[in-house]
Amino acid sequence: MALTTASAPVVPEQPGRRAPDAHKRRGPGAGRGRQGVAGYVFLSPWLLGLMGITAIPMLLSLYLSFTDYSVFSTWEDVEWIGLENYQEMFTGDPQFYRAVTVTLLYALIMVPLKLAAALAVALLLNRAWRGVGLFRGLFYLPSLLGGSVALALVWSALFAGDGAVNEFLAFFGITGQAWVNDPDYALGTLIILGIWQFGAPMVIFLAGLKQVPVELYEAASVDGASPWRQFWHVTMPMLSPVIFFNLVLETIRGFQGFTSAFVISNGTGGPVDSTLLYTLYLYKRGFAEFEMGYASALAWVFLLAIGILTIVLFSTGRFWVHYADGEDR
Amino acid sequence: MHPATHPESARPARTHRTLKFGRVLRGLAATAVALPLIFGAAACGDSNDDAGTDPNEKVELSVFWWGDDSRAETTKKVLDAYTAAHPNVTFVTTFQGNQGYLDKLSTQAAGGNAPDIFQLDDNMLSELAERKVTLDLTPYVEDKKLDLSKFPESLAKYGVVDGEQAGVALAENTPGLIYNRTKLKEFGVAEPATGMTWEAFIAWANEVSTKSGKKLPGTMDPSADYKALWVWLRQQGKEFYNGKELGFTAEDLTRWFELWKGARDSGATPTADVIHEGNSSDASKQLVVTGKAATSWVWSNQLAALSKNTKNELGLMAYPGDPKGQWARASMYWSGSSKTKHPDVVADVINFFVNDATAAKTLGIERGITPNLDLRKEVEATLTDANQKASLAFETEITPKFGAAPTPPPKGHAAVRTLLVSIAESVQYGKATPAQAAQDFLTQAASKLA
Repeated sequence: MALTTASAPVVPEQPGRRAPDAHKRRGPGAGRGRQGVAGYVFLSPWLLGLMGITAIPMLLSLYLSFTDYSVFSTWEDVEWIGLENYQEMFTGDPQFYRAVTVTLLYALIMVPLKLAAALAVALLLNRAWRGVGLFRGLFYLPSLLGGSVALALVWSALFAGDGAVNEFLAFFGITGQAWVNDPDYALGTLIILGIWQFGAPMVIFLAGLKQVPVELYEAASVDGASPWRQFWHVTMPMLSPVIFFNLVLETIRGFQGFTSAFVISNGTGGPVDSTLLYTLYLYKRGFAEFEMGYASALAWVFLLAIGILTIVLFSTGRFWVHYADGEDR
Repeated sequence: MHPATHPESARPARTHRTLKFGRVLRGLAATAVALPLIFGAAACGDSNDDAGTDPNEKVELSVFWWGDDSRAETTKKVLDAYTAAHPNVTFVTTFQGNQGYLDKLSTQAAGGNAPDIFQLDDNMLSELAERKVTLDLTPYVEDKKLDLSKFPESLAKYGVVDGEQAGVALAENTPGLIYNRTKLKEFGVAEPATGMTWEAFIAWANEVSTKSGKKLPGTMDPSADYKALWVWLRQQGKEFYNGKELGFTAEDLTRWFELWKGARDSGATPTADVIHEGNSSDASKQLVVTGKAATSWVWSNQLAALSKNTKNELGLMAYPGDPKGQWARASMYWSGSSKTKHPDVVADVINFFVNDATAAKTLGIERGITPNLDLRKEVEATLTDANQKASLAFETEITPKFGAAPTPPPKGHAAVRTLLVSIAESVQYGKATPAQAAQDFLTQAASKLA
């Protein structure tokens, strides 16, 4: 990437500062050239990061997705097999479809509920109560812990057959399920865990709510609009860009769910593949079954799917996202 | 980066644009491969290049294993003892927990930079041997520089992949049933004994369930456990693997699943969700120590480790059926790297680990029973832990009854193992019939072994 862009000017034209000998060939140290060097020097940590951590590994993984590559292969025995990995994925791998189904179920149920919870709590916490800051912090906390292994461990202990949740239910005479150890309930438990971590979108909603002009509510109440109508006709439209932002972000995050499923199922996606999220399946194929080529192919299909989904979300945004300064966009 | 700003001065940079994308890609790939090699080469730059005949030549070997601190301590002690005897040989050691061990090893191997000596288990031996990551130790075994003659024969052979000695067993191990002796006494049920049939064992488990008033199911359901299935198959003259394919049919597997479906239905085992907890490999979650079943299907050397997790007294027996179905299994191997510059020294160090009396006593039976039969007695005399003694007594008693060792599991075994768990669970939860599940297993396992 950097090779092909190297000849493009990095410093905007600044006619006033052009050196007298600008038209002559100069060494790299002269005039604006020096600025160019400085620019690249300042850019270099980022460029190195981009190349080393993102660009090269991505290109390699694209290449590997067309090969039979085990983690133990040396470069000499990486065998080019064309589209075989992709073919296998779509025609000969029931677990692939299982993983897709589980991931869709997880994301499509979890994301709307999570956003609804985030918005509801944000509306509550938008009032000027005493100690509201403390509550904001407390509600945000699960989100901070969100990706952590510790939280998933606590969750699996809470929802184990003899865990605290069932003891609580037993108090009311209800016999609980084996939640995380039952294929019919395990994914539901993960979804609840996901919803509970609504702190991050909640904070963004709070910020969005603060931006809604108070005059609009005043005008609406003068016109006799009920709080419910105010919510639907003032808050929602004004908040729609924030909702949209959260929706895109959380959808992508939902599809990438991994840690909780990994910890709760001990890295297996069990029981009976009920928590086999796509990324977990990818991890299994790559690191537990050592098929890096196949895992790379899985990763590229995943990237494309998320890309398409994001485009779809953006194209629907036109119909329901309202920008206050609409004409300018 | 070229400081290109002016059209004319930018000209030299433009040649980059004419590069074909493919060449750029190849260049990037080459860089990605070359960098670790360069750093790797620099890192071992001070080791001597000629695999010398000079006995005083300075040699530095890297050694890598998984395990806890106590294993690290004993392993380092043995390495230090080797250095004391051969002052020219020193070691750079690395160890870590089981999690991530193979990731790290494989990354190093892919960069052509594997440690000189590393620990493996049979889960991975074939995978690495077939990919020529491991050093072929056959010549050293043949001229007794690496002496395996005191090993049980099947244990020595269990390190052979495709005719090459890819690893040397660091310790011997065999599947064992660990049961809760305290609870059996409490319920007044007789202890199970090695050699009872599978049906008799399930009937015994049923008795435990009944006499405990359904509080303590008699046994964990091992239908998802590849080693239990393997022993069962061998007792009928079959193998889990026949070379690089499965050694059994869908009918065999159906019968296996039906055997345990019967046991579950009659109450000899816990319910599916509890079995799922037990399918975790974690020793602390085995049902015999969590008190959710009276028997766990584990390894004989785990008696000491499991005992630490319960106050009850535990007993140990072989898997049901003729013990001939079992074999001296290597709990772990030492393997050398095929890229090592000092293969002779590597073989000698491995030999020291398995044949030196002091080394054997230092190692104890933490990794499993001492592989060298002569040293086993000496090690036995040094043991103080009652459970370790019991493990060793069991192994000594059962070893003569063993059948021949099969070849180590083929490449793809790790994937087949996890597949068996998820397929067996689908039967346990009633999501599939034994016959359907068996068919699914065979179809999917074939693609994982291909």
